[in-house]
Formats: sequence, C-alpha cells, structure tokens
Amino acid sequence: MQKIGHPSWRSTAADFLTQRNFILFCIIPLLLFLILTSVIPGILALADSMTAWNLTAFGSQNRFVGLDNYRKLLGDDPQFWGSLGRTALFVLVVVPIEFALGLLIALYLLDPFPGRRLVLTLVMIPTMIAPVVVAMTWRFLMMPTFGLFTYYLRQLGFLSEGSVFSGEISAMATLMVIDIWEWTPFMMLILLSGLSAMPKEPIEAAQMDGASPLQILFHIQIPLLRPLIIVAVLFRSIDASKIFDTIYVLTGGGPGADATESITLFAHKTTFVTWQLGYGAAVCQVLVLFAVIAAALFYTAVARNQRSAS
Amino acid sequence: MRRHSPAGRAAEAITWAVPLALLLLVALVPYIWMLLASLKPRAAIFANPPSFTFSPTWENYQTILEDKGFGGYLMNSIYVGAFSTILAVTIGTLTAYAFARFRMPAKHHLFFWILSTRLGSPVAYALPMYLIFYRMGLLNSMAAIVIAHASFNLVLVVWMMRSFFEDVPREVEEAAELDGCTPFGVFFRISLPMAWPGLATVMIFVLLFSWNELLFALILTSGEHRTITVMIPTLVSQTSTLWGQVAAASVLQSIPVIVFTFFVQKHLVQGLTFGAVKG
Repeated sequence: MQKIGHPSWRSTAADFLTQRNFILFCIIPLLLFLILTSVIPGILALADSMTAWNLTAFGSQNRFVGLDNYRKLLGDDPQFWGSLGRTALFVLVVVPIEFALGLLIALYLLDPFPGRRLVLTLVMIPTMIAPVVVAMTWRFLMMPTFGLFTYYLRQLGFLSEGSVFSGEISAMATLMVIDIWEWTPFMMLILLSGLSAMPKEPIEAAQMDGASPLQILFHIQIPLLRPLIIVAVLFRSIDASKIFDTIYVLTGGGPGADATESITLFAHKTTFVTWQLGYGAAVCQVLVLFAVIAAALFYTAVARNQRSAS
Repeated sequence: MRRHSPAGRAAEAITWAVPLALLLLVALVPYIWMLLASLKPRAAIFANPPSFTFSPTWENYQTILEDKGFGGYLMNSIYVGAFSTILAVTIGTLTAYAFARFRMPAKHHLFFWILSTRLGSPVAYALPMYLIFYRMGLLNSMAAIVIAHASFNLVLVVWMMRSFFEDVPREVEEAAELDGCTPFGVFFRISLPMAWPGLATVMIFVLLFSWNELLFALILTSGEHRTITVMIPTLVSQTSTLWGQVAAASVLQSIPVIVFTFFVQKHLVQGLTFGAVKG
C-alpha cells in the first residue's frame, strides 16, 4: 500500500503499526497481569506450602518440611475431609432442588404478560443482592427472640427453644433453604432464556397431535435444552461448592466445632484464624487443582452448548 | 383449550395470578422485612410478636451516615469498584479483541487459564495474593483489593467482549483496512466504538460483582480501608443489637444493585454466567 515519495517517518510508523505488533499490544497487558497475579503468587504459594510457616510461631517461615503439609492434609486431617464431605452434601441437595424449582418457575413465566420485565427484576432480587446482605437478612429473620421467621416457626411448633442455628441439622438445613432461596432465580433465568430461544414449531406440532404439556416438557423441551441444562447445573454446582458468605455470617462453621463448616470456611480458618500459612497454602493448592478440573469440565460443556445453539 | 365465557376467563386469570403472587411473596418477603426494619424505631424492631405497624423514622440512616462512617466505606467500595473495573476492562477488552479477530497460538490455553482463576474459591487465590502483598508491604492498601477484584472479573470481560466484538460486522473493519487504517486504527476508530453498548453492559457487571464481593475484601482490607460488604457484618456482635443500622446499611448497599439489574436485564444471563451462556 505504500506510495513512492511518502515521507520516511510515515513508512516507519506503518512498519511499526503492523498486525503482529497490534496483537502483542493486546496480549502483553494480559500476560503481565497474569504473571503478577497468578504465576508469581502461585509459585511462591507452592513454595510456602512446603514450609511450617505459622504467624504465631516466630521464625517458622523458613522451616522447610517438604510434602509434610500435603501428607497430613490428604492422609489424616478429619477436618479437611469432613468439610469436603459437607460441601459435597450441600451441593448434592441444593442444586437439584434449585434446578427443579427454577424449571417450574421458568415454564410458568415463559409466555409474555404485561409487567413481565418488572416481575423478572423483582424475582431476581435474591440472586442479585450481595450474598452478605442475604446472610444478614436471614440472620435477622432467624434471631432467637424477635426474628420474624423464628416467631412463626415457634407458632407452628417446629422450633421450641433458641435459634435454628443452634441445632446441627437445623443449622445445615436452614443454610440449604437460604441457598435455594438465593439461587433458584438464577437457575430460572438461564432456563427461561433457553426456553424462549427454542424453536416454536416442534412444540406446536406436538400440541396439534394432542400431546400433553408434560409430554412436551419431557420429550421436546428438556431434550432440546440438554446442553444448556448441563452448563447451568455445572455452573451452579461449582458456585455452590464455593459457598462462603452466608455460612461465615450465619454460623461461622458451627454450631459445635464444625457442623456447617464448608471447604472454603476450612481454608479461611486455617489461614486467617489460626494463621497456619504454610498448611493453608497447601489447602489452597488443592483448591486450585479442583478449580482447574472444574474449568475443564465447564469449558467442555460450554463449547458443546454453543455448538448446539448455533 | 381456552374457555371463552367471562366466568371461565376470570377463573383462568385467578389460577394464573395466584402462583405469581406466591412467587413474588417468597422472593421478596425477606428483603421487604429488612427494608421495613431500616425504617423502624428501635422498639419496633425488637417487638415480639413481630410488629407490622410503626411510625417510620430516618434515625437508622442518620446514625450510620453520621456516626458509623458509612460514607467512608461507601467511598472505599466505589473506589475499589471504579479502579478494578478500569483495570479489568482495559486488559480484558484488548484480550477479547485479539481473541475474537486473530488466529494466535495458545489462545485456548490462555483463555482456559483466565477461566480457571474464576472457577476456584476466592480463598485459594486470595492467600497467595495475601502472601505477596504481605511481603511487599501492600497489605491493607487499596492496591491489593483493586488488583484482586480485577483478576476475578477478567474472564467476564474477555468472554462477553469477545462475543460483542464478534457481532461487529467484519465488512466494516475490512473497508477501513482498505482505506489505509492500521490495525490500531481499526480497533480504536471502528470496532471499539461499535462495541460500546456492550462495553457499558460489561462495566456494569464488573462494578456489580466488585461491589457485592466479600471474601477478597475481607482478607485483603482492614480498618479504614474496609468496603461496605466487610463493614456490614461488623455492625452486629454477640452483645450489641444494631439491627436497624444493619438494615439501613444493607438497603443502601443493595438499592443500586436492584436499579442496575433492571437496566441490564437483557444481558443478565450472560453477565451472571460471566459470558458462558448467551441470553
């Protein structure tokens, strides 16, 4: 494209503004950022995870212990395995319920009606407001002496003394109910977007043939939505396994030593309550490994969904 | 299928409206109860059985704004939100454009890496950052929390902006190239302005997630640097009973969120799944 007789600074500028340099211009900030926030902290944390570093023990930072932290964590730490098991139980209970309720509500709100946008915004409030506000709200509703829900639970005879958070089972169950309340709208919204984008013809044809709404749901809508459902359930499961804010505010992992302690609470407690930084770094490395596995599963599911959508 | 008599239509309307009312009731009662508490005088909050009638007061809002330094925490949240948004959007938009337009080696690996930093628990990434900032003496400065929030929002920016850039017609860019635009010119003069509405949506989501975030903020800030989400739980301890103030702070924190939700509703699915599902 260069013309003869162009001033020479122009052609050097054009040489510099090439596509290759533009790609570098786009990617270098990302690479610098990832090195700063992910590579260097990652390597240092890996090194720290092999020390006995404890902020409460002076000079422990440089005591190299090799793989001892990992051996203890994976081999014999009942708190770690206990919190992992509780997190798994939590996910296995809440996600299917959120999915079923979300699908039910999505089907109900599928057809347009006046004020639908406002209704959707209002229904989304539990998902959109900060999890810490959700937690404070429920703590208020469940206060032992004057909580609104506590009062009605007492009236109905479900609760005799104290608070729902003082019993191990009722505390866990309440956390599950709160999570379902908070995240069902999210599930609803994803499924609603999938149902709205679905071609109308197969459903209309089935209606002509006299298919019942249930038959249409199980034989047309759910099979067509399958790739999206996998993405939604996977997304929610990964997210639910990271639950922190509500448990931190409502029970702090109790009652007792660890009745509602999830894996993130365990990691937080190890590092920022008892200050075992070396051991905590090992816990975090294991969590990062989980994240990489989750990312691999999620990435595959998303790619499959996009292929089926296009 | 449809009944046409007036009575039939009325019955149909009622069977349709009752579940809707129930749905809104379940979704909203907890929040409305908090909203009411923020306007209640002290005695009404602790009434047992619960009281539904009371004379509203601004007392709780006044207290948190004047005595509890809520304004300071609010400024911290705004500061963290604004700077982490600028950081994440700058880096993420450039990356997204390169991903959308060019063939390059290791694209999927890079993307996978960014994705995995969002799918893990914040604790797992906060501790390594904490250890770095501890060594650098940056702990308890705003820099740490700004960088942390930018890093967990990066995948949202990259994924969403990539799809907005893919929606920019290729022909427009090619025409600009033929007119002698450099790749830099095409990006800054054509693609970025055309993807602007998308960019605005992405910025709202990044701001929202930073605004609502607790765990990074809890670990990386303390004292005067705390954000609102960290401040709210500190209003309640085992002994003190400041529920009116908690409610007022919660309402002030969540009102902007609800307003924004209404405006970005079209992109809500995409934003909440950080770009994985196009709504």
